Amino acid sequence: MQHVANLSDVRGRVGEAAIEVDRVSHVYAGPEGGVPALQDISMSVGVGRFVVIVGPSGCGKTSLLMMMAGLRHQTEGRILCYGRPIPNPDPERVGVIFQEASLFPWLSTLDNIEFPLSLRGTPREERRRRSQAMLSLVGLDGFGARYPHELSGGMKQRVSIARGLVQDPPVLLMDEPFAALDEQTRMTMGHELLRIWSTTKKTVVFITHSLTEAVYLADEVLVMSARPGRIIDHIQVTLPRPRTYEMMATDVFGRLRDRIWQQIRKAD
Amino acid sequence: MRWPAPSTVRWAMLVVLLALWEFVPTTGVIPELFLPALSKTLYVLWVDKHIYFAALLVTLYEVALSMLIACGLGILVGAVVGGLAVLRNLLLPIFSSLYAVPIVILYPIFTAWFGIGSQSKIAFAGIYGFFPVMLSTAAGIRTIDPQFVLAARSMGATLPQLITRVIIPASVPTVFAGLRLGGALTIIGVVVAEMLTASAGIGYLVTLNRTILDSPRVFAGILAILVLSIAYYMLARALESRMVVWQSAGKQTRAASRDAQVAVAAPAAA
Repeated sequence: MQHVANLSDVRGRVGEAAIEVDRVSHVYAGPEGGVPALQDISMSVGVGRFVVIVGPSGCGKTSLLMMMAGLRHQTEGRILCYGRPIPNPDPERVGVIFQEASLFPWLSTLDNIEFPLSLRGTPREERRRRSQAMLSLVGLDGFGARYPHELSGGMKQRVSIARGLVQDPPVLLMDEPFAALDEQTRMTMGHELLRIWSTTKKTVVFITHSLTEAVYLADEVLVMSARPGRIIDHIQVTLPRPRTYEMMATDVFGRLRDRIWQQIRKAD
Repeated sequence: MRWPAPSTVRWAMLVVLLALWEFVPTTGVIPELFLPALSKTLYVLWVDKHIYFAALLVTLYEVALSMLIACGLGILVGAVVGGLAVLRNLLLPIFSSLYAVPIVILYPIFTAWFGIGSQSKIAFAGIYGFFPVMLSTAAGIRTIDPQFVLAARSMGATLPQLITRVIIPASVPTVFAGLRLGGALTIIGVVVAEMLTASAGIGYLVTLNRTILDSPRVFAGILAILVLSIAYYMLARALESRMVVWQSAGKQTRAASRDAQVAVAAPAAA
């Protein structure tokens, strides 16, 4: 794990904000005038925190995440990442992991993980070394030469995570990364993600539809309303870490999940 | 009972067909004018090998140049039309409907413009093969998974990097399907054009020998074109499967399962 510790250069200190969202609103241009998608969203993600956003379908969660990644622009308000706006994607600060694994089918696993580095012209030696390190971090040693179509859904998502981590950004944005996986794989992947998170000390913003996943993974859960999306609840998950599967059966876990469910039902 | 592999059956069918070609005419059931025996066809091919070889060179030269036009122009125009929404909406319906027009009707005009030499064949076959290449390139670029582009952008890809590292490799399979079809159409275009109005080439030899009722020499020409087309097809497939490992792998498993289904269904039907 030595190489991983060296790669992790966590900018900012615990207690400071990695991402600040300040009164962000967004209106889509629709065929019959503007459609309000997000309304007056303010939130702050502390360095090293694991923040989960839940909300009904179409509430603008993904839009918000895309704005944090610099992939989309809000109509109002501002988003700061380490104190600076993010008008364009900046892989030095933010890595994004998508819903479908979105691996390039024409590249081998290792080439997929290397892709972001090769875009920046990182020397071949270093690329190989770093992608190999990421491959073992996600537990896929020996699968580097395989192509995506030769991997299972869970393995693809692991590669996707490795690709998001390879540039060592302090922030990871994850847009329902496990949505396409079956229940069991999903649980295992959540557990894996927590392990990787605790090794790499990243700040994570994670979107999901699964309430169990939200409580299991999060330090904080933000609940959004239906369109136009607003933040209607902010829940601190006080369960100790490391999280275990047994915790899911506890009353605390059940009460937290229930509270989120009540909010979402109200919001819908 | 186990069924023989499909490839074995295919080879067996070919052998049977060749055997029928050889032996049915010798029995006298079919007059030689309609179908000369395989051995006789091969014999005249051997006797006239210099004539056929020269004609084949002319045909190959015309096919090569028209493929160059069809593929080069097709990919270029397809990429521009597929990549720009304005052009796509404006031009794609026009190109799609032009594809349905029997372009061979324009060939007399081509001979008027370019003469009866190779130029008119190249121009005609080039345009004939251009359409599928252009349309599949446009489709290939238009149907790229937007997730690929989004992911690459999130990793900081610039526009030139997006084009060379994502859009081009992602559209290769669709473009290749078009190239295979377009290439086959240029062969058809060249041969048809040679048969209509020409002074050289295999198609010309076939027409010439047909007018003097020399069936073995007609069939020799047909055989030459058959071999040319099959060689082209195998070359294109080999190239394609090398270039598109990730795509052909998926196809093969699908094809394999389809074969398996056919194999399961066949005994039931029998």
